[in-house]
Amino acid sequence: MTILEEAPPITAAIQATGVARAFGSVQAVQDATLTVERGKVTALIGPNGCGKTTLMLMLAGLLRPDAGEIRVAGADPRTDSAAVRAAIGWMPDQLGSWDNLSCLQTLTLVGQSYRIPAAQARAKGLSLLRKVHLEEFADRPTRVLSRGQKQRLSLARALVHDPAVLLLDEPANGLDPRSRVELRQYVREIAAEGRAVLVSSHVLAELDEMVDDAVFMSKGRTLGDDAARMVAHARTRYRVWSLDVDALRRALTDASVPFEEAEGGAMVSIADEAHAQQALAWLVGAGVPVHRFGPAGSALEQTYMAMEEDRR
Amino acid sequence: MTTTETSPNPTVTAPARKGNPWLPTLHGTFLVTRIELLRRRPSTKGWIFYGILLAAILGLGILVSVLSTAEKTSTPLELVLVLVLGAGMLIGPSLSATSINGDSGEGVLAPLQMTHLTAGDLAVGKLLSSWFVAFAVLVTTTPFLVYAYARSGWHLGELLLVLVVILFLVLTATAVGLAWSAIAARAVASVSLAHLTTGVLVIGTLVLFAFTAPLVSDTMTETDRYVAWDELSDEQSTALEDAYNTGDFSAVDPDALVCDEETYEYGIAHTERTAWMVLINPLVVIEEVSPLVNPLTFEEDGRAAPGIFANVHQMVSSARIGPTEADAQMMEYDECADIATMASGDDESADGGNAYQDTWEQQQEEQAMYPRTPWLGLGLQVLLLVGAMAIVTHRLRVPYRTLRTGTRVA
Repeated sequence: MTILEEAPPITAAIQATGVARAFGSVQAVQDATLTVERGKVTALIGPNGCGKTTLMLMLAGLLRPDAGEIRVAGADPRTDSAAVRAAIGWMPDQLGSWDNLSCLQTLTLVGQSYRIPAAQARAKGLSLLRKVHLEEFADRPTRVLSRGQKQRLSLARALVHDPAVLLLDEPANGLDPRSRVELRQYVREIAAEGRAVLVSSHVLAELDEMVDDAVFMSKGRTLGDDAARMVAHARTRYRVWSLDVDALRRALTDASVPFEEAEGGAMVSIADEAHAQQALAWLVGAGVPVHRFGPAGSALEQTYMAMEEDRR
Repeated sequence: MTTTETSPNPTVTAPARKGNPWLPTLHGTFLVTRIELLRRRPSTKGWIFYGILLAAILGLGILVSVLSTAEKTSTPLELVLVLVLGAGMLIGPSLSATSINGDSGEGVLAPLQMTHLTAGDLAVGKLLSSWFVAFAVLVTTTPFLVYAYARSGWHLGELLLVLVVILFLVLTATAVGLAWSAIAARAVASVSLAHLTTGVLVIGTLVLFAFTAPLVSDTMTETDRYVAWDELSDEQSTALEDAYNTGDFSAVDPDALVCDEETYEYGIAHTERTAWMVLINPLVVIEEVSPLVNPLTFEEDGRAAPGIFANVHQMVSSARIGPTEADAQMMEYDECADIATMASGDDESADGGNAYQDTWEQQQEEQAMYPRTPWLGLGLQVLLLVGAMAIVTHRLRVPYRTLRTGTRVA
């Protein structure tokens, strides 16, 4: 994680404590607490309808929380909502674009809406279009864009004013595999520039490789340290596949290594990559025919599933 | 330009913001208007349609001017003005009434609310862009307007004043549409409500005025006197019949005639109490800022004969003045008194008719020249405009406290 070492001193870009919001009788967010730090990518994970978007809207300064404290870039959305919105680049989950306007026109006009001089806004728009690989659509109306292309235009739109904080609501939706990889790299780059990024998604495997922190949400509540512990635990789980399953289990049992049985092998807990290397060397040395060895899938996904099971 | 374009990551400078401003700004309003007009930019098909429309109006103008006589008439001008008002009051609200809930549904409203644009910028910008389209209708009719004006006997200042008032009325109707769009979640609802509001003002006020007339009516008793033919002697009947036939009443002794009295009741509406309902009608407002035409002296005044507007003004004035003593006098009929007058010989029957005619003409002139009062209507329009824009601005302010039911933020 060299990116983190290069990043500027870490201070919280978003700090939310005990945030709640109801729509009529529906309590969309009950108690949300989270911190998003500069130079880091934080994931917001939860099932559909758990209040992720509502929470993001409150952080973006579009929706007033009923209770709780929010600070974005040091400003309180209640009293300094304009400063909060200026500090944030928001990519909504709903894709909307001005059908009749070209991509470049869209970005230039949005830039001008931030009071960026027209020439600057245009130049920034062009460079962003290049960044999200839409430069050949610069002068074409946005109505010709496909869903994934609109998604990328929406990301570019969120960045026209060089925001300190980026809120991405389901950014990977509708993207093809290549665009997903590019999005992941791009988001990491944005974080490396010292910006804070909060991503909500349910494509968890995607997030695994992108995020530094994760905040889990369920039924309007953020799950604090428990979920963090579960993620940490999930990250230590390794899966070993052996041609001779019995030999593997015998070796583990003999060395009194705790393990769970899994199809074609076993699950073990290994603290870090150095230990994993030693464990593999030991198994091979002990004559166990290991043919696959690696982390047991997405840590976030495991946590998510475990969390969901707990709540059932 | 080229240097910034080639730079991989150009820097941008956006000013810092404080607090949560909502008042409209010049920069923001212009920008929103520009964005909205760019979005509504007609396609090629649209331009062709407008071209055909313009050609049709031009053609119609030329045709009418070729066919018409040289006589002055204000009717074509009045028709154009009513058409421009009607078209504007249909088009403006139709566009504005989908402007906020439509954008919110498409997901293009919230991204703009995130920028430096204030709620006021968005509100005024959207209002102006819809209004400009209605303004374009006025521009399209210009050729016909010029022709119609040339024959109308109106002065240029009067025409400009009416045009300004029309544009103002369209602006208000557009603002009302925008307010409905900020209140209602569905475009269908807001468009219907916008047109309903216009309908209530244009037609509803007239209907209400007509239906409230009985509520402000007083019952009057009136006594008519007739000659009681049954009770006349034969000579008297013959003499009176002869007198009616010849017009010579000298053989009749009016004092000896037997007269019957008949009393009956009739209602008069005190329309002066309900005239305000008519005065808030936008069409009446237009008419109330149009020039007065004296029905007796219009030719010497260099005017055309009283047209639609002048006639409506007369009716509105009559409603505002309400029933007068002259009306009551004109209602009463006294045959015996008439015979007495004519028998005395100092008054010819023609003169009696003239007196009636004079009263009538005087009344017509009084009504036609009754001072104009567009103020009540204009006042209501100002109130609607300010109120509508206050609602729109309030509804567009973020962070939202409440949301329209059935909608999402983005």
